Amino acid sequence: MKLPRSIRVIERGWLSANNIVLEERSEAVVVDSGYVAHAPQTLALLERALAGKKLARLVNTHCHSDHMGGNAAIQKKFGCAISIPQGEAPAIDNWDEQQLILAVADQRAQAFSYDDTFRDGDVLQMGGLDWQVIAAPGHDTHAVMFHSPEARVLISGDALWENGFGVVFPQLFGRETALAETRATLEAVGRLDVDVVIPGHGPPFGDAGAALERAFHRLEGYEQDIARLARHCAKVMLSFSLLEKRSMPLAELPAYVARVPILAELNSRYLRMTHAAMAEWLVNELERAGAAGRREGLLLARGE
Amino acid sequence: MKRDEAPAGDVQSPCNNVCRMNPDSGLCEGCLRTLDEIAAWSGLDDDEKRAVLAQLPARRTAR
Ligand SMILES: [Zn+2]
Repeated sequence: MKLPRSIRVIERGWLSANNIVLEERSEAVVVDSGYVAHAPQTLALLERALAGKKLARLVNTHCHSDHMGGNAAIQKKFGCAISIPQGEAPAIDNWDEQQLILAVADQRAQAFSYDDTFRDGDVLQMGGLDWQVIAAPGHDTHAVMFHSPEARVLISGDALWENGFGVVFPQLFGRETALAETRATLEAVGRLDVDVVIPGHGPPFGDAGAALERAFHRLEGYEQDIARLARHCAKVMLSFSLLEKRSMPLAELPAYVARVPILAELNSRYLRMTHAAMAEWLVNELERAGAAGRREGLLLARGE
Repeated sequence: MKRDEAPAGDVQSPCNNVCRMNPDSGLCEGCLRTLDEIAAWSGLDDDEKRAVLAQLPARRTAR
Protein backbone atom coordinates (compact mmCIF):
# COMPACT_ATOMS: atom_id res chain seq x y z
CA MET A 1 0.00 0.00 0.00
CA LYS A 2 1.70 3.15 -1.13
CA LEU A 3 0.47 6.70 -1.51
CA PRO A 4 1.89 9.14 -4.06
CA ARG A 5 4.46 11.46 -2.46
CA SER A 6 2.22 14.44 -3.09
CA ILE A 7 -0.38 13.11 -0.62
CA ARG A 8 0.13 13.39 3.13
CA VAL A 9 -2.43 12.10 5.57
CA ILE A 10 -2.58 13.67 9.02
CA GLU A 11 -4.33 10.91 10.89
CA ARG A 12 -6.57 12.36 13.59
CA GLY A 13 -9.09 10.59 15.81
CA TRP A 14 -12.84 10.17 15.98
CA LEU A 15 -13.83 13.67 17.08
CA SER A 16 -11.71 15.21 14.33
CA ALA A 17 -11.61 13.70 10.86
CA ASN A 18 -8.27 13.15 9.14
CA ASN A 19 -6.72 16.11 7.36
CA ILE A 20 -5.37 15.17 3.94
CA VAL A 21 -2.75 17.45 2.45
CA LEU A 22 -2.17 17.29 -1.30
CA GLU A 23 0.82 19.23 -2.57
CA GLU A 24 1.86 20.43 -5.97
CA ARG A 25 4.97 22.57 -6.39
CA SER A 26 4.54 25.55 -4.05
CA GLU A 27 0.82 25.11 -3.41
CA ALA A 28 -1.31 22.74 -1.40
CA VAL A 29 -4.92 21.69 -0.94
CA VAL A 30 -6.27 20.20 2.28
CA VAL A 31 -9.28 17.93 2.54
CA ASP A 32 -11.38 18.27 5.73
CA SER A 33 -10.66 20.41 8.76
CA GLY A 34 -11.53 18.47 11.95
CA TYR A 35 -13.69 19.40 14.92
CA VAL A 36 -13.95 23.01 16.08
CA ALA A 37 -12.58 22.31 19.57
CA HIS A 38 -9.42 20.89 18.00
CA ALA A 39 -8.85 23.82 15.65
CA PRO A 40 -5.69 25.15 17.39
CA GLN A 41 -3.97 21.77 17.01
CA THR A 42 -5.26 21.44 13.45
CA LEU A 43 -3.74 24.81 12.53
CA ALA A 44 -0.41 23.87 14.10
CA LEU A 45 -0.36 20.49 12.35
CA LEU A 46 -1.17 22.05 9.00
CA GLU A 47 1.52 24.67 9.46
CA ARG A 48 4.05 21.85 10.00
CA ALA A 49 2.77 19.81 7.11
CA LEU A 50 2.71 22.74 4.71
CA ALA A 51 6.28 23.75 5.61
CA GLY A 52 5.95 27.14 3.97
CA LYS A 53 3.86 26.05 1.00
CA LYS A 54 0.80 28.16 0.31
CA LEU A 55 -2.52 26.60 1.27
CA ALA A 56 -4.59 27.48 -1.76
CA ARG A 57 -7.79 25.63 -0.97
CA LEU A 58 -9.70 23.70 1.68
CA VAL A 59 -12.13 21.08 0.39
CA ASN A 60 -14.78 19.20 2.40
CA THR A 61 -16.02 15.69 1.73
CA HIS A 62 -19.17 16.67 3.60
CA CYS A 63 -20.28 19.23 6.14
CA HIS A 64 -20.50 17.38 9.44
CA SER A 65 -18.94 18.91 12.55
CA ASP A 66 -15.92 16.60 12.58
CA HIS A 67 -15.06 17.43 8.97
CA MET A 68 -15.81 21.16 8.71
CA GLY A 69 -15.49 22.38 12.31
CA GLY A 70 -12.05 23.85 11.60
CA ASN A 71 -13.03 25.53 8.30
CA ALA A 72 -13.41 29.03 9.73
CA ALA A 73 -10.12 28.87 11.66
CA ILE A 74 -8.19 27.55 8.64
CA GLN A 75 -9.72 30.17 6.37
CA LYS A 76 -8.75 32.92 8.81
CA LYS A 77 -5.18 31.73 9.35
CA PHE A 78 -4.22 30.69 5.83
CA GLY A 79 -6.53 32.88 3.74
CA CYS A 80 -7.38 29.91 1.53
CA ALA A 81 -10.45 29.39 -0.62
CA ILE A 82 -13.06 26.88 0.55
CA SER A 83 -14.90 24.45 -1.71
CA ILE A 84 -17.82 22.33 -0.54
CA PRO A 85 -20.20 19.81 -2.11
CA GLN A 86 -22.96 21.66 -3.94
CA GLY A 87 -25.66 19.84 -2.01
CA GLU A 88 -24.33 21.18 1.30
CA ALA A 89 -24.50 24.80 0.17
CA PRO A 90 -28.05 25.63 1.34
CA ALA A 91 -27.39 24.27 4.84
CA ILE A 92 -24.17 26.28 5.06
CA ASP A 93 -25.82 29.42 3.62
CA ASN A 94 -28.57 29.26 6.23
CA TRP A 95 -26.36 27.68 8.90
CA ASP A 96 -29.07 25.07 9.33
CA GLU A 97 -28.16 23.45 12.66
CA GLN A 98 -30.61 20.61 12.10
CA GLN A 99 -29.45 19.73 8.60
CA LEU A 100 -25.83 20.00 9.71
CA ILE A 101 -26.56 17.82 12.76
CA LEU A 102 -25.15 20.36 15.19
CA ALA A 103 -27.36 21.53 18.07
CA VAL A 104 -29.75 18.62 17.51
CA ALA A 105 -26.88 16.29 18.40
CA ASP A 106 -25.19 18.57 20.96
CA GLN A 107 -22.35 19.20 18.51
CA ARG A 108 -20.73 22.46 17.53
CA ALA A 109 -19.06 24.06 14.55
CA GLN A 110 -18.03 27.56 13.55
CA ALA A 111 -19.87 29.18 10.66
CA PHE A 112 -17.78 29.87 7.55
CA SER A 113 -18.26 31.13 4.04
CA TYR A 114 -17.30 29.08 1.01
CA ASP A 115 -15.98 30.27 -2.33
CA ASP A 116 -17.32 27.63 -4.67
CA THR A 117 -18.98 24.24 -4.90
CA PHE A 118 -18.48 21.00 -6.81
CA ARG A 119 -20.71 18.07 -7.56
CA ASP A 120 -20.84 14.51 -8.81
CA GLY A 121 -19.03 14.24 -12.14
CA ASP A 122 -16.77 17.25 -11.60
CA VAL A 123 -13.00 16.88 -11.69
CA LEU A 124 -10.89 18.62 -9.03
CA GLN A 125 -7.15 19.10 -9.36
CA MET A 126 -5.39 18.41 -6.10
CA GLY A 127 -1.74 17.54 -5.56
CA GLY A 128 -1.04 17.34 -9.29
CA LEU A 129 -3.73 14.70 -9.79
CA ASP A 130 -7.20 14.81 -11.30
CA TRP A 131 -9.83 13.73 -8.78
CA GLN A 132 -13.24 12.55 -9.88
CA VAL A 133 -16.00 13.84 -7.60
CA ILE A 134 -18.37 10.97 -6.82
CA ALA A 135 -21.65 11.37 -4.96
CA ALA A 136 -21.58 9.36 -1.72
CA PRO A 137 -25.02 9.71 -0.10
CA GLY A 138 -25.97 7.66 2.94
CA HIS A 139 -24.18 8.86 6.08
CA ASP A 140 -24.78 12.37 4.70
CA THR A 141 -27.09 12.87 1.71
CA HIS A 142 -24.77 15.42 0.16
CA ALA A 143 -21.40 13.81 0.87
CA VAL A 144 -18.90 13.08 -1.88
CA MET A 145 -15.79 10.97 -2.37
CA PHE A 146 -12.74 11.85 -4.46
CA HIS A 147 -11.19 9.24 -6.73
CA SER A 148 -7.96 9.46 -8.67
CA PRO A 149 -8.04 6.80 -11.40
CA GLU A 150 -4.39 7.56 -12.16
CA ALA A 151 -3.11 7.09 -8.60
CA ARG A 152 -5.85 4.54 -7.81
CA VAL A 153 -6.56 6.34 -4.55
CA LEU A 154 -10.00 6.95 -3.03
CA ILE A 155 -10.62 9.69 -0.47
CA SER A 156 -13.75 8.18 0.99
CA GLY A 157 -14.78 10.56 3.78
CA ASP A 158 -17.23 8.71 6.00
CA ALA A 159 -18.72 6.63 3.15
CA LEU A 160 -16.27 3.77 3.74
CA TRP A 161 -13.90 3.09 6.61
CA GLU A 162 -11.62 0.12 7.09
CA ASN A 163 -14.23 -1.24 9.46
CA GLY A 164 -17.64 0.14 8.65
CA PHE A 165 -18.85 3.59 7.64
CA GLY A 166 -20.11 6.79 9.24
CA VAL A 167 -23.31 6.35 11.17
CA VAL A 168 -26.48 6.41 9.10
CA PHE A 169 -29.50 8.05 10.67
CA PRO A 170 -32.58 5.83 10.51
CA GLN A 171 -35.58 7.67 9.15
CA LEU A 172 -34.82 10.76 11.15
CA PHE A 173 -35.60 14.18 9.78
CA GLY A 174 -37.14 12.73 6.64
CA ARG A 175 -34.17 10.53 5.71
CA GLU A 176 -36.14 7.43 4.72
CA THR A 177 -33.79 6.57 1.89
CA ALA A 178 -30.53 6.66 3.85
CA LEU A 179 -29.94 2.90 3.89
CA ALA A 180 -30.69 2.49 0.19
CA GLU A 181 -28.33 5.38 -0.52
CA THR A 182 -25.66 3.76 1.61
CA ARG A 183 -25.94 0.54 -0.39
CA ALA A 184 -25.69 2.39 -3.70
CA THR A 185 -22.63 4.29 -2.47
CA LEU A 186 -20.85 1.11 -1.38
CA GLU A 187 -21.66 -0.43 -4.76
CA ALA A 188 -20.20 2.63 -6.45
CA VAL A 189 -16.96 2.16 -4.50
CA GLY A 190 -16.90 -1.44 -5.68
CA ARG A 191 -16.81 -0.27 -9.30
CA LEU A 192 -13.70 1.89 -8.82
CA ASP A 193 -10.07 0.91 -9.34
CA VAL A 194 -8.61 1.48 -5.89
CA ASP A 195 -5.25 0.51 -4.39
CA VAL A 196 -5.48 2.75 -1.35
CA VAL A 197 -8.45 4.19 0.53
CA ILE A 198 -7.90 7.29 2.64
CA PRO A 199 -10.87 7.28 5.02
CA GLY A 200 -12.19 10.19 7.08
CA HIS A 201 -11.21 8.34 10.25
CA GLY A 202 -8.51 5.74 10.84
CA PRO A 203 -5.37 4.99 8.86
CA PRO A 204 -5.26 4.63 5.07
CA PHE A 205 -5.83 1.03 4.06
CA GLY A 206 -5.22 -1.17 1.07
CA ASP A 207 -7.84 -3.85 0.82
CA ALA A 208 -10.95 -2.00 -0.32
CA GLY A 209 -12.64 -5.27 -1.20
CA ALA A 210 -12.39 -6.62 2.33
CA ALA A 211 -13.57 -3.30 3.77
CA LEU A 212 -16.55 -3.35 1.41
CA GLU A 213 -17.39 -6.87 2.51
CA ARG A 214 -17.43 -5.78 6.16
CA ALA A 215 -19.47 -2.70 5.28
CA PHE A 216 -22.08 -4.67 3.35
CA HIS A 217 -22.31 -7.17 6.21
CA ARG A 218 -22.97 -4.35 8.65
CA LEU A 219 -25.45 -2.71 6.29
CA GLU A 220 -27.40 -5.95 5.92
CA GLY A 221 -27.73 -6.10 9.69
CA TYR A 222 -29.29 -2.64 9.69
CA GLU A 223 -31.53 -3.39 6.70
CA GLN A 224 -32.91 -6.43 8.50
CA ASP A 225 -33.41 -4.67 11.81
CA ILE A 226 -33.82 -0.90 11.82
CA ALA A 227 -33.84 -0.89 15.63
CA ARG A 228 -30.28 -2.18 15.53
CA LEU A 229 -29.35 0.86 13.49
CA ALA A 230 -31.16 3.11 15.97
CA ARG A 231 -29.23 1.58 18.86
CA HIS A 232 -25.94 2.01 17.01
CA CYS A 233 -26.87 5.60 16.21
CA ALA A 234 -27.62 6.44 19.85
CA LYS A 235 -24.31 4.93 20.98
CA VAL A 236 -22.34 6.84 18.35
CA MET A 237 -23.99 10.15 19.25
CA LEU A 238 -23.30 9.79 22.98
CA SER A 239 -19.73 8.55 22.33
CA PHE A 240 -19.06 11.60 20.22
CA SER A 241 -20.37 13.99 22.89
CA LEU A 242 -18.31 12.22 25.52
CA LEU A 243 -15.14 12.55 23.42
CA GLU A 244 -15.65 16.30 23.43
CA LYS A 245 -16.76 16.73 27.05
CA ARG A 246 -14.34 14.01 28.35
CA SER A 247 -16.65 13.31 31.29
CA MET A 248 -20.37 13.54 32.02
CA PRO A 249 -22.07 13.20 35.41
CA LEU A 250 -23.96 9.90 35.40
CA ALA A 251 -26.82 11.44 37.35
CA GLU A 252 -27.41 13.98 34.58
CA LEU A 253 -27.52 11.46 31.73
CA PRO A 254 -31.27 10.75 31.87
CA ALA A 255 -31.97 14.46 31.45
CA TYR A 256 -29.33 14.61 28.73
CA VAL A 257 -30.89 11.86 26.61
CA ALA A 258 -34.24 13.59 27.04
CA ARG A 259 -32.86 17.00 26.08
CA VAL A 260 -30.71 16.25 23.03
CA PRO A 261 -33.22 16.08 20.18
CA ILE A 262 -31.57 13.32 18.16
CA LEU A 263 -31.32 11.03 21.18
CA ALA A 264 -34.86 11.85 22.25
CA GLU A 265 -36.19 11.09 18.79
CA LEU A 266 -34.29 7.81 18.52
CA ASN A 267 -35.77 6.83 21.84
CA SER A 268 -39.33 7.80 21.12
CA ARG A 269 -39.32 6.15 17.68
CA TYR A 270 -37.28 3.02 18.20
CA LEU A 271 -35.91 2.36 21.64
CA ARG A 272 -38.96 3.23 23.73
CA MET A 273 -37.25 3.21 27.09
CA THR A 274 -37.58 5.52 30.05
CA HIS A 275 -34.89 8.18 30.00
CA ALA A 276 -33.22 6.55 32.99
CA ALA A 277 -33.23 3.15 31.30
CA MET A 278 -31.84 4.58 28.07
CA ALA A 279 -29.07 6.35 29.96
CA GLU A 280 -28.17 3.19 31.88
CA TRP A 281 -28.23 1.08 28.71
CA LEU A 282 -25.98 3.56 26.88
CA VAL A 283 -23.47 3.63 29.72
CA ASN A 284 -23.31 -0.16 29.78
CA GLU A 285 -22.88 -0.32 26.01
CA LEU A 286 -20.10 2.28 25.95
CA GLU A 287 -18.32 0.47 28.77
CA ARG A 288 -18.67 -2.85 26.99
CA ALA A 289 -17.20 -1.37 23.79
CA GLY A 290 -14.26 0.03 25.75
CA ALA A 291 -15.23 3.58 24.78
CA ALA A 292 -15.93 4.75 28.32
CA GLY A 293 -15.66 3.89 31.97
CA ARG A 294 -17.35 5.11 35.13
CA ARG A 295 -15.71 6.48 38.24
CA GLU A 296 -16.95 8.59 41.13
CA GLY A 297 -20.31 9.31 39.59
CA LEU A 298 -18.88 10.24 36.20
CA LEU A 299 -18.95 8.65 32.78
CA LEU A 300 -15.41 9.07 31.50
CA ALA A 301 -14.07 8.95 27.96
CA ARG A 302 -11.50 6.23 27.38
CA GLY A 303 -8.11 7.46 28.57
CA GLU A 304 -9.48 9.82 31.27
CA MET B 1 -16.83 3.52 17.59
CA LYS B 2 -17.11 -0.22 17.37
CA ARG B 3 -13.87 -1.81 16.39
CA ASP B 4 -14.92 -5.44 16.33
CA GLU B 5 -13.98 -7.35 13.21
CA ALA B 6 -11.09 -4.95 12.67
CA PRO B 7 -8.19 -6.40 10.73
CA ALA B 8 -5.31 -7.03 13.11
CA GLY B 9 -1.68 -6.15 12.57
CA ASP B 10 -1.41 -2.40 12.28
CA VAL B 11 -0.07 -0.28 15.11
CA GLN B 12 -2.95 1.83 16.37
CA SER B 13 -2.66 5.57 16.85
CA PRO B 14 -2.52 6.61 20.52
CA CYS B 15 -4.80 9.59 19.83
CA ASN B 16 -7.54 9.75 22.46
CA ASN B 17 -9.33 12.74 20.98
CA VAL B 18 -8.09 15.38 23.43
CA CYS B 19 -6.01 16.96 20.64
CA ARG B 20 -4.79 20.02 22.51
CA MET B 21 -1.12 21.00 22.59
CA ASN B 22 0.45 21.96 25.90
CA PRO B 23 2.48 25.11 25.19
CA ASP B 24 5.02 24.35 27.94
CA SER B 25 5.80 20.72 27.13
CA GLY B 26 5.15 20.92 23.39
CA LEU B 27 3.20 17.67 23.75
CA CYS B 28 -0.42 16.85 23.06
CA GLU B 29 -2.21 16.76 26.41
CA GLY B 30 -4.04 13.62 25.34
CA CYS B 31 -1.53 11.34 23.62
CA LEU B 32 1.74 13.06 24.65
CA ARG B 33 3.09 13.16 21.14
CA THR B 34 4.85 16.18 19.61
CA LEU B 35 3.30 18.01 16.66
CA ASP B 36 5.92 16.44 14.38
CA GLU B 37 5.09 12.96 15.66
CA ILE B 38 1.36 13.49 15.10
CA ALA B 39 1.84 15.03 11.65
CA ALA B 40 4.23 12.27 10.57
CA TRP B 41 2.35 9.32 12.16
CA SER B 42 0.49 8.17 9.09
CA GLY B 43 3.68 7.99 7.05
CA LEU B 44 5.65 5.95 9.63
CA ASP B 45 6.16 2.22 9.26
CA ASP B 46 5.11 -0.10 12.09
CA ASP B 47 8.55 -0.14 13.71
CA GLU B 48 8.73 3.65 13.70
CA LYS B 49 5.24 3.84 15.18
CA ARG B 50 6.26 1.42 17.94
CA ALA B 51 9.30 3.57 18.63
CA VAL B 52 7.04 6.60 19.16
CA LEU B 53 4.68 4.60 21.39
CA ALA B 54 7.63 3.36 23.45
CA GLN B 55 8.49 6.92 24.45
CA LEU B 56 5.05 7.82 25.74
CA PRO B 57 5.03 6.13 29.20
CA ALA B 58 8.14 8.05 30.28
CA ARG B 59 6.55 11.30 29.17
CA ARG B 60 3.47 10.48 31.17
CA THR B 61 5.45 9.99 34.38
CA ALA B 62 7.54 13.10 33.67
CA ARG B 63 4.42 15.24 33.63
ZN1 LIG C 1 -19.74 12.62 8.77
